[in-house]
Amino acid sequence: MDLLIDSFISAIRLIVSMDAEMVAIVGVSLKVSCTSTALAGLIGVPLGFTIAFSEFVGKRMTITVLNTLLALPTVVIGLFVYAFISRRGIFGPFDLLYTQRAIIIGQAILIIPVVAAFTIAAISRIDERYRKTAMTLGANRLQTAWIVFREARFGIVAAMVAAFGRVISEVGISMMLGGNIKGFTRTMTTAMALEYDKGSFILAVALGIVLLGLSFGMNILFHFFQGRVHSQ
Amino acid sequence: MIYTVSDLIKKYGSRTVLDIPYLEVEKEQIYALLGANGAGKTTLLNILGLLEAPTAGRIQYCSRPVNYAESALQSLRKEVVLVDQHPILFTTTVFKNLEFGLKIRKINKKERYRIIDESLDLVGMREFSSAPAQHLSGGETQRVAIARALALSPKVFLCDEPTSSVDVENQNIIITILRRVNEIKKISVLFTTHDRSQAARLAHHTIVLNHGRLVPTMYENIFRGVLQTDPFGQPQCTIQDKIHLSLSGDQIKDKRKAVSVFIDPEMIRSVKLPGDQATQNELRGRVVQMIEENGNVRVVVDAGIWVALLISKKRYQEIRFMVGETIDLYIPPEAVHII
Repeated sequence: MDLLIDSFISAIRLIVSMDAEMVAIVGVSLKVSCTSTALAGLIGVPLGFTIAFSEFVGKRMTITVLNTLLALPTVVIGLFVYAFISRRGIFGPFDLLYTQRAIIIGQAILIIPVVAAFTIAAISRIDERYRKTAMTLGANRLQTAWIVFREARFGIVAAMVAAFGRVISEVGISMMLGGNIKGFTRTMTTAMALEYDKGSFILAVALGIVLLGLSFGMNILFHFFQGRVHSQ
Repeated sequence: MIYTVSDLIKKYGSRTVLDIPYLEVEKEQIYALLGANGAGKTTLLNILGLLEAPTAGRIQYCSRPVNYAESALQSLRKEVVLVDQHPILFTTTVFKNLEFGLKIRKINKKERYRIIDESLDLVGMREFSSAPAQHLSGGETQRVAIARALALSPKVFLCDEPTSSVDVENQNIIITILRRVNEIKKISVLFTTHDRSQAARLAHHTIVLNHGRLVPTMYENIFRGVLQTDPFGQPQCTIQDKIHLSLSGDQIKDKRKAVSVFIDPEMIRSVKLPGDQATQNELRGRVVQMIEENGNVRVVVDAGIWVALLISKKRYQEIRFMVGETIDLYIPPEAVHII
């Protein structure tokens, strides 16, 4: 118990003093997570929107596949991407392995289904009358789509927040594709795993507190946007 | 003609919801589309509003055949606007709701502002211009939706049950708006309603739908009945197991057992029955309503079913019955039509 309390007090001191190593790790984590979330948004939102807005053969199956991909383990994605970007992989010549870009690619693959599935859910919740109203007011298909998108905006932002929450706390991809290189690819979760292995808890606890704080902030944001969706 | 409809069929799966052999809608007139729930009013409005394609048939808009391919509808939709029974406003301000259609039509900013002010004035909602649309009441929402549609100066304005979900005050406002836009802006108006008197007050013409078919009535004296044979082997229609009406010979061909029948109010006669009991084609009931209508008197009698009859003022002065009085009616077989 003393170990935990001592570690906790020291961790708080570390956070207050803005320890350089801790700040660097948090910086890397935020950078890769924000980038992968933005990348997943660029792909997942239009993908989800197109699936939700269009009628095509196999739509239900596509949604089922996307929902299945939500449960994809991070280590499976790590392994999969590793096979492509390792020296012997087809993208080997690009030297992506053990770089932040590798983590970003892996994390984006992880959360594209999350963003797409949440976007589909957000669009599906939008009242059919918005589409009909836009059409009767003379809107073309693109303008009608924009109206539906606008009405679903809070749901889509909630999708992005949920996706960010997923990548900021994942460890498998960061470890397998980033390699936990200090000052370069060491993220909060990989640093915590390493500190645990070393039996050094202070930095791990400090990072845990920061991670929990970020997750808490993300959840507040998520519920705020979810609330806006339901109040529409 | 603004619309000419020929051989229109609309099916959902195997269920036929509309079957209209021919229908014409004149320009610059107000049409009321009457019918019970499920009669096909909204479906017809959606088809005329170019939002839904018919399963079969031809529709001409301003003497041009309508091509229901999405790309071909774009320009036509800019002339026809539909307001839903429960309209929805975009989650932004009232002003931006009205601005949406005008921006699509590439109307310049100064003109947009003028039209929006004018349209909101028309529905008495100008002071709500910057209000969030989601915070409006049902009646206000309906009025803003009407303003949003009228701001686009359509040739045809379609309104699905415009007064069904608003209070009496807003009902009167909406009726006045519909009349004004038709009179001043010469916009053709088609609206659906359950309310026969509202249709009579507002519309130049009335279209009545019953189970997806046009019927030549004013949406009254329509009953569900069962075709049977009387003890003498003659065809009759029984309504609610208690009213038996003989049919004229030419209607026996109908093979259906359950049918809808229409009793022509102009052919029902007020008589004095000799006995205490009403028999075949006779009804005894209490007068519950009397209204003057185009020089005639419409009398509604509660005879187990509510039956309306239309009699001339001269005939009324001869009979002079009062509301609450019991009277006898004779329904000649020629007055009963299977629809």
